[in-house]
Amino acid sequence: MLNIVFYFQVHQPFRLRHVNVLDIGKDLDLFDDKLNAEVMRKVAQKCYLPTNKLLLELIDKYEGKFKVAFSITGTAIEQFKLYSPETLESFKQLVRTGCVEMIGETYYHSLAALYDTNEFLDQVMMHRRLMMDEFGVHTTTFRNTELIYKDTIGDLVFEAGGFDTILTEGVDRILQWRSPLYAYKNYRKNLNMLLKYYKLSDDIAFRFSNRDWPDYPLTVDKFIHWIEQLTLAEQKERNLFLNLFMDYETFGEHQWAETGIFDFMRHFPDEVLKRPHLGFANPSQVRQWANYQQESLTFPEPVSWADEQRDISAWVENDMQKNAINTYYELFSKVKATHNEELICMARRLSTSDHFYYMCTKYFQDGDVHKYFSPYDSPDQAYIYYINALADLEERML
Amino acid sequence: MKVLMFTWEFPPLIAGGLGMACYGMVKAMLAQGIKVDLVLPTKEMVYFPLRKESDVDSLPVVFMDPVLQNDFSNRVFSDPVERLKYIGVSTSPESYHTIGDIKSFVSRVETEYLSHNDTNKEEYNLWQQITSNLEGDNDFILKVQEFTQRSERFAKELDYDLIHAHDWLTYPSGMLARKLSGKPLVVHIHATEFDRAGGPGNPQVHNIEHAGMTYADRVIAVSKYTAQMIVSRYKIDTAKVRIVHNAFTLEENRVFTRERLFKGPTILFLGRLTLQKGPDYYLDVAKMVLEKHPQATFIMAGTGDMARQLLRRSAKLGLKNRFLFTGFLNRQQVETILQASDIYMLPSVSEPFGISPLEAMAFGVTSIISKQSGVSEVVHNAYKVDYWDVQLMADTINNLIENPDKRITMGYRGMKEVNQIRWTEAADKIHKVYSEVLSQHTKSQE
Repeated sequence: MLNIVFYFQVHQPFRLRHVNVLDIGKDLDLFDDKLNAEVMRKVAQKCYLPTNKLLLELIDKYEGKFKVAFSITGTAIEQFKLYSPETLESFKQLVRTGCVEMIGETYYHSLAALYDTNEFLDQVMMHRRLMMDEFGVHTTTFRNTELIYKDTIGDLVFEAGGFDTILTEGVDRILQWRSPLYAYKNYRKNLNMLLKYYKLSDDIAFRFSNRDWPDYPLTVDKFIHWIEQLTLAEQKERNLFLNLFMDYETFGEHQWAETGIFDFMRHFPDEVLKRPHLGFANPSQVRQWANYQQESLTFPEPVSWADEQRDISAWVENDMQKNAINTYYELFSKVKATHNEELICMARRLSTSDHFYYMCTKYFQDGDVHKYFSPYDSPDQAYIYYINALADLEERML
Repeated sequence: MKVLMFTWEFPPLIAGGLGMACYGMVKAMLAQGIKVDLVLPTKEMVYFPLRKESDVDSLPVVFMDPVLQNDFSNRVFSDPVERLKYIGVSTSPESYHTIGDIKSFVSRVETEYLSHNDTNKEEYNLWQQITSNLEGDNDFILKVQEFTQRSERFAKELDYDLIHAHDWLTYPSGMLARKLSGKPLVVHIHATEFDRAGGPGNPQVHNIEHAGMTYADRVIAVSKYTAQMIVSRYKIDTAKVRIVHNAFTLEENRVFTRERLFKGPTILFLGRLTLQKGPDYYLDVAKMVLEKHPQATFIMAGTGDMARQLLRRSAKLGLKNRFLFTGFLNRQQVETILQASDIYMLPSVSEPFGISPLEAMAFGVTSIISKQSGVSEVVHNAYKVDYWDVQLMADTINNLIENPDKRITMGYRGMKEVNQIRWTEAADKIHKVYSEVLSQHTKSQE
């Protein structure tokens, strides 16, 4: 049996205003409310609302056999409430079907796991509380920001308590000869691990509408055929997990409706469920369906799902990113010590990984992706606004 | 006394110190009864007849074409900005003629003006130096070609006693006007290519500068520093060179208030981010000071070709959120940043004058200025340091941070001193230069 595990990431950062030096110390809003509202409303119209509607129809139609999982960040939920409450409502409707699993992560989609252990645990707990308050669910599966994972992060997640499964990238340099289709354990064997099958995930997320791709156009038949081939290698009836992890904005936003992405998704479950050896599963079902001794994997260095390198270089590679993030965490510990809730909230919004992603100067293919996602003209501009925001934040404390 | 003046900048057409200097000097000259017909790189073919002090702000305009002049005088403008837009006061005069016209101009200079019997070999060679160096399709060169071509009409149709041209962009125009009218030419050196480039620079520009200075009857340098450069690098006869220091225009009724942005010590660099201004030395100084005083904030205000490099380097040095870039600032924003600063630094590698520290001092900001600047010749209440002496600059800033009383006293003295530096004095000197060339000219005509 091969279980298809769909997990969709839902995230919107609080983008910064073009913070000028002359604005510092004037108690102005650091965030670009107008832009954030615009983006949220646009993405809700193009992606969240139509895709949620489609998934709801599919769940209804297949009566519990079609399942998906979501991870929704705290900053996204806050912005649903501000700019698109109907989107939040439609997610709640999906969760009520019982076929949707909610996944835990850091509330602010931050890189705290790499820089500030206590803050990481705080943000994980904040997110868990948020999931309970909004959706009435207790999260048992965890994904760290951008699927960033290394052994010590697994330890922290275990320490947080209540999580038994973690999701990360199926990185070749870790897996080597192994297949990402099996469920694994972390190095301490206290967490289940599901690894993203990046080839097939990215076929949908990145290559779906790419006319230069030899396999364009991606049809359901073609995709099912590839999946069926994957099952051939397994002779011992061990349950396989095909982990298709992607940004939820793939649907209708990164891949526009005109590309046929919605039709693809509408017909895909039909073809899957026609086949007795294929099905859908949620990440938390691993523990009951992994009918074999799970091998443990060691991740000495951090991996992620970003760019060709699948490491953390998208956020912390160049000097600007390093100075920004080091300055941030040094400042944040001071902000936290003030116990000023308003300041702490403002500071935490600055911990969102997107701010560092905008400063990335990698070129070629990956640079293009960065540019697509950035609200600023250049990495330098993004850096200037961010550093000015940190200077302003510090002035507010004095 | 009436002057035909060519300049590339004049407020509101400003790109730097040149415009502000021309404004201050012309205003003071008008107060002394000197009349100025000002020619700028405007879109329309116009000049500005300035007769009284207030004309520097109202900028009366005359179109060379009587029909257009008629249209213009019948038109009602809602505000001065709209009026200036109509004239096309812009830094890129789009309506300039085609290159075909300009080619014919260059050949005409040779055939029409230089074939006269009164053209001697030396003069002919200087013109060759201009025409051969005004070639190329570089945007700036094309604009200078156009400006020069237009100067022919001004030179022939206007009535004036002498010609005054500011910086190399207008030297060919000044030369042409001198050739056509036989009136004396004064060229004013606000900066040479050596200063701007912070190194050898563009040889085309050097040649034009050299020809202009050689052809001129008098050369005005904005400082001793520049005069020395003119003599040593351009081999201009010392007897022709006069020094007239710039001043700083204090706008009337201006209130110099202080309004902090940062609670900690604030240090400012204000200028183009280019090699000449030494912004990289400022960054090195910041690194050293921040090690001792991490609560200080260093602001780098301005834009320029080194902006990216400086930004990346400030990140590499790990200066946290203590080294900030403002990008381009308008006049109002410049004032805001000066009001918020405690210490101003001008680490220029080569600065013919440098008016910006005077403005900083007017705001009571304690200034540290490069010895390689003209402004260091005129002010006393500022710290003067070699631009390369990063250690001394850092020590000076540390000392001022540790002794705020000392800093405030110096700032106050500087403010009082700057208030004494007036354009009237500069205008007196320029007046004297004019009188010299005019009497010399009259003698030669006799």
